[in-house]
Amino acid sequence: MSTSEYASPPSVEFLYHDNHNWLQSWLRRRLGCAAEAADLAHDTFVRLLRSPQRFDSQPEARAYLRVVANGLCIDLWRHREVERAWLDTLAVLPEAQTPSPEDQHIVLQALQEIDTMLRSLSPKAARAFVLSTACGMTHQEIAGELGVSSRTVGTYITQAMLHCMRLEADSQVPHGTSEP
Amino acid sequence: MNPIPPGLRAPSHEAMEQAASWFSLLQSGNATNADRARWQTWLASGAESQAAWAFVERVSLRFQPLQAVPAPRLAADALQAANQRLARRRTLLFGFAAMAGSGSLLGWAVWRQAGWVDPLLAHFADHHTGIGERRDLVLADGTQVWLASASAFDQDYRADLRRLRLRSGEILIQTAVDRERPFVVDTAHGRLRALGTRFNVRLDEAGGTQLAVYEGAVEITLAHGGQSTVVAAGKQVRFTADRWEETTAADPAREAWSRGILLAQDMSLAQVVAELGRYRRGHIAVAPEVAGLTVLGSYPLDDLNGTLAMLQQALPIQVRQPLPWWTTIEARTR
Repeated sequence: MSTSEYASPPSVEFLYHDNHNWLQSWLRRRLGCAAEAADLAHDTFVRLLRSPQRFDSQPEARAYLRVVANGLCIDLWRHREVERAWLDTLAVLPEAQTPSPEDQHIVLQALQEIDTMLRSLSPKAARAFVLSTACGMTHQEIAGELGVSSRTVGTYITQAMLHCMRLEADSQVPHGTSEP
Repeated sequence: MNPIPPGLRAPSHEAMEQAASWFSLLQSGNATNADRARWQTWLASGAESQAAWAFVERVSLRFQPLQAVPAPRLAADALQAANQRLARRRTLLFGFAAMAGSGSLLGWAVWRQAGWVDPLLAHFADHHTGIGERRDLVLADGTQVWLASASAFDQDYRADLRRLRLRSGEILIQTAVDRERPFVVDTAHGRLRALGTRFNVRLDEAGGTQLAVYEGAVEITLAHGGQSTVVAAGKQVRFTADRWEETTAADPAREAWSRGILLAQDMSLAQVVAELGRYRRGHIAVAPEVAGLTVLGSYPLDDLNGTLAMLQQALPIQVRQPLPWWTTIEARTR
């Protein structure tokens, strides 16, 4: 039996001591920034605290931590990409139309949330859903823009809405509860 | 925001689907007063539909801040611009982690089940098709690959080996000759080595790989244990990681899809519908009393409604579509 196998399911505290330094240096190589790496390593363990996992060995724990941490890196990159696009948009607006700094920030946060919510959908479905929900365009208008049928737009929007509803439900209803 | 009544379980899948399709209809620009009245009736029909609708409202509320911009369209376009840049940068691993990362999407429990890994990776594979899409492509060495609906593979060409990894669905391959580099296709169940050939590989719902060989021959090596066997032209076989099943005559239908045709030779209606389902999102239900009807003939895969109309002509069945994504097939009533 290899020494990296855990004798009994380890506590989060044990996992932290066993893997934190490794995770942080892994993140530093990936992000090239020590402060961000420290933040994300911290967030990774917070996530582990919130939804404890059972690991039988160190490699298994590290595989999991790497998946979560990698996801957080991507969240970070995506958030930045959305921010950059939003700032680009603001930069070309005439001054009279520029939203207040507070509104700018609220919109940015909303965009980042929406991006997170929609990213596993196909690009066209996500686009159709945003144009319908945020801009109030009709299915026919969206169909013209995406080059698909109105019917397909309807399917996209139903699917996208259902997907978002499930995410909301997942984040709200703890797993395993079933009230009689 | 309507709070979810305490003590209520998450609404059923059906109620969530209904709520989502009501949302789609009400937003479409084509909803009539009668539609709105029907929606109201549905909403009043019980706590479950109300709870499901509360989720629709929650999701909609997330978009509300965008109204703070003079033209919400600008914000929507910013999102689009960001997505296009991200799509260009996305790589296989990158995308996979994106799905596993945001905890709420997919938990570790799902991830660690090997059976789920390939379908997940399929989303980010080098070459993939959406539902209802077919595509053919020519790889760098001249090998031709046809991808069926909802299929995906990764391409890994090296100096000494040409390797494809089938992640989901079905591919038909016509290999180009290259004496230096063998051509292999890997699935979760084993390795297929092409010996100058045209062959079809399909991952089936039951968790196996189906191989049909039309020209040349293909050698199967099982993922577990590593035994191998050669399948000759005109033969087909299904295998899992541990064993292969009896070899039978290759079904021409397994090749016909590459031309957009569903070739039914003695298939049951239920099998035909399952095949059509691969090409279409949404739900197609077949009533048990007609599921066993025998279907013969060739049908277009790209035109579901046309195919359903043809089936309705040929068989004593009735096709109904109460919602765009909901099709039911029942016995025809006289």
